[in-house]
Amino acid sequence: VAENRREEQKLWLIVFQIKAVRTRLNLLAIQFWIFLTAAVLLGAAALIFLSAVALNPMLFLGVAILILILAAATTIQVARAALRRTASPRRAAAIADDRAALKGRLATVLALAETPPPSPLWLYLVEDTYSMRQRFEPSAVEPRWVSRSIFAPLAACLVAASLLAVVRYEKRGPNNVVYAPPTELTADLGNLDIRPADPSVGANARVFADPSTLRQLAAKLAQAEKTEANRSSVSRWVSKARQLASSLQDQVTGQKALKNQPLTLNLRGDKSQPPDNGASPPAGDQSGNDSGGGPIMPPAGAPTAGGGAPSQPPPAIPSNESNQLAQEGMPASSGDNSTGEPQDQSGPKVGSGYVGQAGSSHSAGSDPGHLFGPASPQVLGSESFRLTVDARPIDEASSGGAPAYLPPKVRVTLNSQQFPDEPLARTAVSSDDQATIKRVFER
Amino acid sequence: MSDPRVENGVEGIPTVADFARIFRRLQGEIHKAIVGHEQAIEELLSALFAGGHVLIEGVPGTGKTTLVKALGQALNLSFNRIQFTVDLMPADITGTRVILSGADGRREFSFQPGPIFCHILLGDEINRATPKTQSALLEAMAERQVTAGGVTHPLAPPYFVMATLNPIEMEGTYPLPEAQLDRFLFKVRLGYPGEDEMVRIIGATTGADESPVEPVFAAGAAAGAIEQLKRLVREVLVSPAVEQYAARMVRATQPQNSRVLGDLHSPIKLDVVSRYVSFGSSPRGAQALILGAKVRALLDGRANIAFEDIDRGAPAALEHRIMLNYAAHTDNVDAPQIVEEVVKAVQQMRR
Repeated sequence: VAENRREEQKLWLIVFQIKAVRTRLNLLAIQFWIFLTAAVLLGAAALIFLSAVALNPMLFLGVAILILILAAATTIQVARAALRRTASPRRAAAIADDRAALKGRLATVLALAETPPPSPLWLYLVEDTYSMRQRFEPSAVEPRWVSRSIFAPLAACLVAASLLAVVRYEKRGPNNVVYAPPTELTADLGNLDIRPADPSVGANARVFADPSTLRQLAAKLAQAEKTEANRSSVSRWVSKARQLASSLQDQVTGQKALKNQPLTLNLRGDKSQPPDNGASPPAGDQSGNDSGGGPIMPPAGAPTAGGGAPSQPPPAIPSNESNQLAQEGMPASSGDNSTGEPQDQSGPKVGSGYVGQAGSSHSAGSDPGHLFGPASPQVLGSESFRLTVDARPIDEASSGGAPAYLPPKVRVTLNSQQFPDEPLARTAVSSDDQATIKRVFER
Repeated sequence: MSDPRVENGVEGIPTVADFARIFRRLQGEIHKAIVGHEQAIEELLSALFAGGHVLIEGVPGTGKTTLVKALGQALNLSFNRIQFTVDLMPADITGTRVILSGADGRREFSFQPGPIFCHILLGDEINRATPKTQSALLEAMAERQVTAGGVTHPLAPPYFVMATLNPIEMEGTYPLPEAQLDRFLFKVRLGYPGEDEMVRIIGATTGADESPVEPVFAAGAAAGAIEQLKRLVREVLVSPAVEQYAARMVRATQPQNSRVLGDLHSPIKLDVVSRYVSFGSSPRGAQALILGAKVRALLDGRANIAFEDIDRGAPAALEHRIMLNYAAHTDNVDAPQIVEEVVKAVQQMRR
C-alpha cells in the first residue's frame, strides 16, 4: 500500500508538472495573440494615416477600406494561430516529450493516468518518468516568459512613430503653404462648369453680372439641373463617397476644413452665346445656389475667352491673398481684362495691373515701399494664376493643406497692353542696395 | 564462473533491462556468424519477440540461410529447413498419415509430422514452390497448428517461420500470394555487404578459426524464456496518440484513403499512393507497426512506445503489404519509396 501511495504521489507530481508546462505554453500563446493583434492594429492605423496624408480622398477611401479588410482578416488569422498554439494537457505533454527528448513518456503517462493499466510496466513507466522530472520542468521545456512576438508591436510602434514624425516634419516644411480660397473672383461665364450643389450645402456666393450674363447664367443653371437629373445614382453615390472620404481624411489627419468664406463672383457674359435665350434673368445678384445653381467652378486650365464689364465694381482683393498670389508668381488681378478693354476698377491702378490694398506685383509698377519683403519661398515663373473658386471644394476637397489638394486653375491671356514678363523671386537685399534700387525705381 | 546459458535464463518475470540484455546478447551471437546486417538482425529478433514471422529477401550469397541458422543456434531451439522446389507438395511440409503395422499386426493410420513441426522453420526460396504448397504454411503461420487427416496438431511455441526470397532468377518462380505475404510480420531485406564488411566476411569465413555461435538460453529453458519475453513485449504501454499515428500510417498506404489525410486545417495529399498503389496495407500492418515498436521501446529501456519507434519499423512492416500497380513498374517506383513518402506525410500530421 505504501509503495502504491508513493507511486501515486509520483504520478501526481508528473501530472502537475505537465500542467505547469501547459500553463506556461498557454501564457505564451495569449501573449502571442495580444502582441500580434496589437501589431496588426497599429500597423493598419499607421497605414491608414499614411494614406490619409498622401492620397487623394477617393483613393484614400479605397485604400483605407482595403487596409481595414486586410487587418480584420489578419487579426482573425492571428487569433486562429494563437488558438493553435494553446496547449491542452495532452499537447503540453507531447511538446514536453519532444523538447525534453522523453520519447513519449509524458504523453503515455498522462493518457493512461486516469485509468492506469494493470500492466507490470506501468509502475516502471511512472518511476522512469519521475526520474527524469528535471528534464520536463516548465523552465526547461519553455525557458521564455515573454513571447518573441512582442517585437512585432514594438516594430509597429517604431514604424508608426517614424511615420508621424515624418508627416509632422512635412507639415512644418517650407513648401507646405496653405492657400485659402479667394473671397472674390471675376470669371467668364463660358469658362464656368456649373453643377447643382448638394441640398445640404448652404448658399455662400453672391454673383454680380450684367442682365445678359445673368440670363446666360440662368440658362446654364437650368441646363446643369437637367444634366444633374440625368446623372446616375452611381455618380451620386460616388459624390457622397468622396465627401465621406474627405471628411474621414480630415479626421484622420487631424486637419480642420477651411471655413468657407462668402464668395463674391463677378461674372462676365459668354460672347459666343446669344445674349437672350429666353430665360428670365434674375435681377441684380444671386445668392449662391438659390436659383438651382451650386458651387461654381471654372474648369481647370480653360482659357478665358474675353470678358465683359461687371455690373458692380469688383471689390479689392484682400492684401493677404494678394500677397500669396504674388508669391506664387500670379498677377493679383481680380478684374483681369483679357480682351484689352478697360474695366471699371475701383481699386487703385498702377501701371497696367490692378493692385489691391497694399498688394504688390512683380509684373507692374508698384509702390516702392512694397518692393521689399521676405524672400520668396519658391521659384516663380508662371503666366497663369490659380484661384480656388469653389466656396466648398468638392472634387479635391482635402482642405487644410493636404498635399494632394490641387486647386483649379484659370488661365488668362494677356491683352495687347500687357506683356509677358519673368517675375523675379524676392531675395534679401542689403540696406545700401535697397536705397539705390529704390532711387532707380522711383526715377 | 557461471554458465552463461543459465545466467541468461529468465527467472520469474523479466524486466525491461532483462529484455534489452538478452536481445543484445542474441545480436552478439548472431554477429559471430553474420557480418553486418545489423538492422536486418534487429528486425529478425524483433519479429521473433513480437510473435511474428519474417520474410527475408536477398540476392544469393548474402547470408540468408546462415543468418537463420545462427539464430536457431543462439536461441537453442529446434530448427528445420525446407528447400522449396516446384515439385514440393504440401504434405511434404506438414506431414502425412501413413499406414503403420502395430505390434498386434493391426494396421492403422498414423500421422508422421513434417518438417514444419519445430520451433524455428526456415523456408528457403519459398517462391520456388507452387502456391498450393506455399499456402500449406498459412495455417501453421497464422494459427500455429497443422491440420492433417482431420486432426489438428498444435505447434510448440515459440513458433517462428523465416522464409527467404530470391529477387532474381524469377523464371519458374511463383510470387507469394498477398494473403501469405500479409502473414509475415516483417520483410527484411539483405543487401550486398559493403567493402569493410566484405573484408571481415572473408577473414571470418576463410580462416581456420571459426567462432561457433553459443546458445544464449539453456537447453529446455529457451522456449519458456522466449515466451516470457514475448509476453513482456505485449505489456509495453501505448498511448492513444501513438495508436492513432500507426492507424493513420496504415490508412495512408491505402489509395482510397490517401487523398486527404490529416484534419481539415492541414490536409495532406499523398499523390504517390493514389497513383502507384493498387492495394494498401491491411490492419495487420498496424499490428506489425505497434509490435515492432514495442520491441524497440524495450530495447531503448522504455515501457512506452514513441512515434519514432513506429517510424523506424514502418519499412519492414509495410513494404511487403503494399501492392503496386503497373504505373509504378513503368515509372520505376518501388514499395520502399512509397513507404518513405507515407512516413514523411504522416510525420507532418504529428506536428
